[in-house]
Amino acid sequence: MDWVFRGRCWKFGDHVGIDGDMAPLDMAISRETRLEVLREVFMAGIDAEFPKKVRPGDLVVAGKRFAQGNPHIQGLLAARAHGVGLVVESIPRGSFRNAISAGVPILPRCEGVCALVDTGDELEVDFATGRFINRTRGIERHFQPLPAMLLDIIDLGGYKEALRRRLGAMPSRAGSQAG
Amino acid sequence: MGQTATEKILSRAVGRAVRAGELIYPEPDLVTVHDWYTVNVHDALAELGVTEMVCPERVLICTDHEPLAVSRQAAERQARVRWVARTHKVGHFFDAGRGGHGHVFPMEMGLVRPGMFVFAYDPHVTNYGAVGCLGIALVVEIVEVLACGSAWVIVPETVRVNLKGALRAGVSIRDVAQRLIAELDPDQIDYTVVEFGGPALASIDVDRRITLVNTPLEIGAKSSLVEIDDTARAWFNARGIGHDRAVASDPDARFKQVIEFDIGLIEPQVAMPPTPDKVTGISELIGRPVQHAFVGSCASSSLSDLRDAASILAGRTVSQSVRMIITPGSNEIARQAAQEGLMEIFMQAGVMVSAPGCGPCAGGRIAPLASGETSINTGTRNDPGRLGARDADIFLASPMTVAASAVAGCIADPRDFLRE
Repeated sequence: MDWVFRGRCWKFGDHVGIDGDMAPLDMAISRETRLEVLREVFMAGIDAEFPKKVRPGDLVVAGKRFAQGNPHIQGLLAARAHGVGLVVESIPRGSFRNAISAGVPILPRCEGVCALVDTGDELEVDFATGRFINRTRGIERHFQPLPAMLLDIIDLGGYKEALRRRLGAMPSRAGSQAG
Repeated sequence: MGQTATEKILSRAVGRAVRAGELIYPEPDLVTVHDWYTVNVHDALAELGVTEMVCPERVLICTDHEPLAVSRQAAERQARVRWVARTHKVGHFFDAGRGGHGHVFPMEMGLVRPGMFVFAYDPHVTNYGAVGCLGIALVVEIVEVLACGSAWVIVPETVRVNLKGALRAGVSIRDVAQRLIAELDPDQIDYTVVEFGGPALASIDVDRRITLVNTPLEIGAKSSLVEIDDTARAWFNARGIGHDRAVASDPDARFKQVIEFDIGLIEPQVAMPPTPDKVTGISELIGRPVQHAFVGSCASSSLSDLRDAASILAGRTVSQSVRMIITPGSNEIARQAAQEGLMEIFMQAGVMVSAPGCGPCAGGRIAPLASGETSINTGTRNDPGRLGARDADIFLASPMTVAASAVAGCIADPRDFLRE
């Protein structure tokens, strides 16, 4: 994966909800995981037109406790479906884990980042190094990137792909693999 | 430097001493999956080509979110769950009507014990902390544990909460739990284990400790633990449950933060929509009409919770404008409630008692809310749509406050209903 994202900023405030804001609770309850379904509802609880406006490579920048609520993965799979990156001030760890699981690049602890951006700004974010640049405003910062092992999971496409690789490296489990 | 209880439990699970911040792959003593997700787990394993779980004898599957199937679809799903449990030779399968709530009955039965480490699908596994067992939820990644025997975890730091003082009449540990998550800083609590101790702990029975450890995850805690003391040991001994693996944080263990909390200073608390940590004293909300009341959920379905509700409902009836549901946490709790006369009180009050399990809290599958309605209940969350209609309001409170409000037809202060 190219860890450098160059795209437009979509700014959200604090406490964006995983259920309702990022994807409907109904889809969490029905365990919807199809990306083509979830992409149609990404952030639609806040802005119904958002799924039509956002483009691959764009950056969702949000405040504290992004994706708060019961840690359902649907809203993060919806982010993956659009190929966006996440830059947030904080994220509850259930949703943090789901972001890794869903294969979504994220900088999870970017204190004060909302004050550095507005929706529409041109951003460049390197998820491997944590370098953050707002080209529109000429601002550069450095935030803590993810540990290499977690970047590795995202690089593989999320937990399922990482799990396939782990299983493949476990000869003791070979006997239980039918196909 | 000493270790926290959490570091000790996880050290045993990886076979070496670990510290907060380390990324590890611990092996669990038990793995839990709940009804609806069991089929997804099987399908995910099949997709990976895995036909056998690692250590199926350590797996617990239970049907608690919708034990009494209320649709053809749910009945079909239950049939699939039975098939999955049989096919995978799951060691602990509790079908509909067989155990109750998977976050409650395993403690009563001694399937989870002090010092154990549990990986779970469902986030409210933190309940097991009431008996000193560390439960960590992985949600969908539970598949990795079943396929490979472990999954990654970063060893959490611990925030220690020392409880002191004594509760006032009409105030319960549910009020304490709600006030605490309103006052704690979510950014401090995030990814920590909240460990409870302090001089007031001795006065808090194990039932109520379940409520205490249930709520911190709502503001981002990874899990919660209660220190094992004489009250807990007496509870284990009375049930013949072993506690030889109980661990405690060392005196010189490193805590991220130590908080003192006086449980004697609060009045009944109510969480307002849309999140459980948006909490206010009841005096702000008295008189607001409600149409739906519910006592139950993994947070508040113990015998002590049912007794609290009964103490208000005895000799009274639920308002004509309210429907009230009580869901015991387990078959055993329902049996005890019947034995000591609580069921009779509920029936005479006009309460509907539902099958042991999650009750309406599991996404409003049973007894949901209509558009524009208001519920006051002891569930875990109050997000819009949690109990059906998105434009319905959900307030969370103690069993006593819920019962008082059901009788009054509006949010009411349980202290006005106390008897001499």
